Order: sequence, then C-alpha cells, then structure tokens
Amino acid sequence: MLLLLLQFLQLSFILPMAMQTVYLKKHEGNAHNFVGTLSSAASAPWWSAFGSQSVHQGESCGQMKPFALELPNCIDQLAATKLSARGAEQVLGEGHTTQFTIFPDGCKMSDDAQKLQTTISLQSSLTDPHSRFEIGFSQPMLCAKYPYTDQFYGLFSAYAPQISGRIMLPLNMSSDDGPIYVNAKQYHGIIRRRQSRAKAVLDHKLTKRCKPYMHESRHLHAMRRPRGSGGRFLNTRSSINGNGKLGNEVHKTVGEQLQSSDSQSSEFLQSEVGTLNSSKETNGSSPNISGSEVTSMYSRGGLDSFSLNHLGSAVHSFANMIDGGRGMIIPPKWVAAAGNCYNLKV
Amino acid sequence: MGDNIGKVLDREGFKYNFTASASGTSAQDGVIKEQDRLLPIANVGRIMKQILPPNAKISKEAKETMQESVSEFISFVTGEASDKCHKEKRKTVNGDDICWALATLGFDDYSEPLKRYLYKYREMEGERANQNKGSNGYENNIANI
Repeated sequence: MLLLLLQFLQLSFILPMAMQTVYLKKHEGNAHNFVGTLSSAASAPWWSAFGSQSVHQGESCGQMKPFALELPNCIDQLAATKLSARGAEQVLGEGHTTQFTIFPDGCKMSDDAQKLQTTISLQSSLTDPHSRFEIGFSQPMLCAKYPYTDQFYGLFSAYAPQISGRIMLPLNMSSDDGPIYVNAKQYHGIIRRRQSRAKAVLDHKLTKRCKPYMHESRHLHAMRRPRGSGGRFLNTRSSINGNGKLGNEVHKTVGEQLQSSDSQSSEFLQSEVGTLNSSKETNGSSPNISGSEVTSMYSRGGLDSFSLNHLGSAVHSFANMIDGGRGMIIPPKWVAAAGNCYNLKV
Repeated sequence: MGDNIGKVLDREGFKYNFTASASGTSAQDGVIKEQDRLLPIANVGRIMKQILPPNAKISKEAKETMQESVSEFISFVTGEASDKCHKEKRKTVNGDDICWALATLGFDDYSEPLKRYLYKYREMEGERANQNKGSNGYENNIANI
C-alpha cells in the first residue's frame, strides 16, 4: 500500500496543472477505499491481485512521463477507457454493501469512456479486469485533452488553403457580396487596374463632348464645306465619276483585294469605336459614297479629308483602284452598304 | 486561341506605344483614351467566329461581353508589363515583357505558346526584310500600307 501511495505522488508531480491535481486527489481517495476492501478480505488471492495492479501502475507512469500529444498515445488512452468500463462491471458483479460508494464514480467514468469511444471509434480488448479498473481511473485526464487537440488541428487545416493560395480583396462600397478571394499573384495587378478604371471614369466625364466626332480637324473641315438644301453636302456626283474612271485599270487585281476591302468596310460600319488607321477608314467610307446618295456626314467628311492628308500618290491611287473595282463588280453589296448607312444615320 | 491572344496582345502593345508617345490637349488625350479602352467589335467577332463552325451565329451581346473581357485582360497584362518597364527605366514595352507579365500573373499556360509565337514571328520579320531589299519601290509602298 505504501508503494502505491508513492506512485500516486509521482503522478501528481508529473502533472502540475491544478485541475489534474484535483482529479488525482479524488482518484487517490477512491483507490484508498479499494485497498481497504482488500485488507478486510485478507485472503491470499487478493494479495496477488494487488501485486498485478502495482505492476500496471508502473506501466501507467511510463506512459504518462513523455506527455506527448500524439495519436498512438490517444489509442492507448482509449484502451484504458475501455478498461474503465469493464472495471465498473466488475464492481457491480461483486455486490458488496461496503463498496457501494465507488459505484457512482464508476458510472461517470463509464459514460466518459463511452463518449470518447464514440468520438474516436477505436476498438480494443484486454484481460485482467482489476488492472483495467485501475488504469481507467487514472487515464481519462489525458484523454480529456485530445478532443481540443483534434479541434485545433481541424481549425488549422481549414485555414491553411486560404493562406497558401488566395488573398482576400478589399471590399468595394458598391458590391454587397462577401469577400472575394483571388490568386495571390494577381492581387497587385487587380488593385492597379481598379485605380486605372476609377481614373478613366473621371476622365470620361471630360470627354463626353468629344463623342460626336473622332477627329477635331475633320470636324472643322466638315463645318467649312458648302451644304445644299436639307443640309447635305454638295459635289456628290463628281466623287462618283472619279471612282468610275479608275475601274478598268484595276480589273485584274480585284479578286485578290476584294475580301480585305469587304472586311474593312464591315469593320468600319459595325464598330462603335473608330480605328486610328486613316487608310482603313477611307476604304470603309468610299464604297458607301459610290453606292448611293444616302450617306452620313461623318463618312463623307472622312473621304474628302483623306485627299488632304498628303499621303504618297501610289497609296492614293491604290485606294481608289480598290474602291472602283469593288463598285464595278459587286452591285448587290451596294444595297447592303446603303442599309448600313441608313442605320448609321439613326 | 493562344495564337489569337498573341496577335491581339502584340497589337495592343503597339497601340500602347502610340498612346505613351502622344502629347497634346486634354481633349486629344480624352479621345485617345476613349478609343483605346475597347477593341473594335468587328475584329472581336471575327476572332470568335474563327473557332466556331461555319454556320454558327454570335449575338451582339456576346460580342460586346467578349469585347469588354478581352480589353480588360489586355489592360491587365499590359499594366503588369508596363510596371516592369517603369522599374527598369525603359520606355518601350516589347513582346518579352508581355511574356514575362503573363508568367508573373500566373498564366503560365499562355506564356509558353506566346514565346514560341514571338520567336517564329521574329523569324518571319527577318525574312520579310530580306525580301523588301530585293523588290522595287511599288512593292515597298504596298508593304508600308
């Protein structure tokens, strides 16, 4: 009995925490009652049982010394909790009146063991019910710590992917959605683009008055041109005649240039934003003028200002040849072009 | 699609140089910025049509959505390349800077095909230069167009 008390004192030194110390004291009291029962019996088999218990206590000391929070220890603790349940059954089997005080504590231990068992869902079995009873009383303290450890690992693992892969963007006033996570590599780029767009919005207010035309110089030239009744420009017939004269010269090369001319025309008509290449604009606008009299102010102005750009004579003649050829060979395109012009006016 | 993106990116790089070198009144700057904000919608539609079967039709809304997405992507990548050139005290953004920007932003799958495209494009440019030396003035003018 003295050896047993010394071992319990060692346990109390190993576990300095207050809660565990209090629990150890309670456990020590229970053990004392159990030893008293053995003394009252005073039989040889009981003494041999006590010896086996002493050996098992030594094992429990060895297990508790490292005090490492690892999964294998958790499995061992679970085995001990299972021993606790069987120890309680042993006490019930005896049925002595003097041992009735141990019964409620045993029930509590069994409940705790069952909860831990269902949580971890591990199975094990051992012999020697008395030794199980002893280990059960001492081990649940360590088991109580493991659920918190598992929760801690869970929280950490849940948090890890965000750290490695994504960064949370700052919330915008306009967006009511939750936080948006983006690729960390693109975070700075996105912030820079947001600033650029905000700046562009401010600049856009200043440029609203520039919407009606693309180029200032062309606008001024169009304003200076003479207009007839109804507001349309004069000198329309001379433009058509000019294109017609050059038709025969480029007859052989029309097939090769036809597709590019058509694509440029459609590009000019469909796109709301004009291109910076003036020759493309000229190619786009010329067929419309030669096709029909229904033309917009902008496209006609573009054609006439082209002659004032002082480009090379070869370039000029080349553009005219394309226009003339297209007008000569594909009459159905004129109707489509006229329709597009009408849309432009609207 | 990698090659198409490469073509569009090269074009955007060229326009970026034009914008950077331009200097004038506030109205002129505003006009240039407005024109540069979006690509021409006809070109976007044509590129979208290249990958579809011949009888496919594309709605105007689809073209406009793709126009905005593609323009934003180009500005995003070009902004990253421009930051690099600014730090290195350089004024011209070239194709290598675009490839570097794509890799930096995590678009490694696009960066490798674009490097191959850039390499072949430069080879072709070299061959064209040799051809121009041997041709007459008329063909040179056509090339300039």
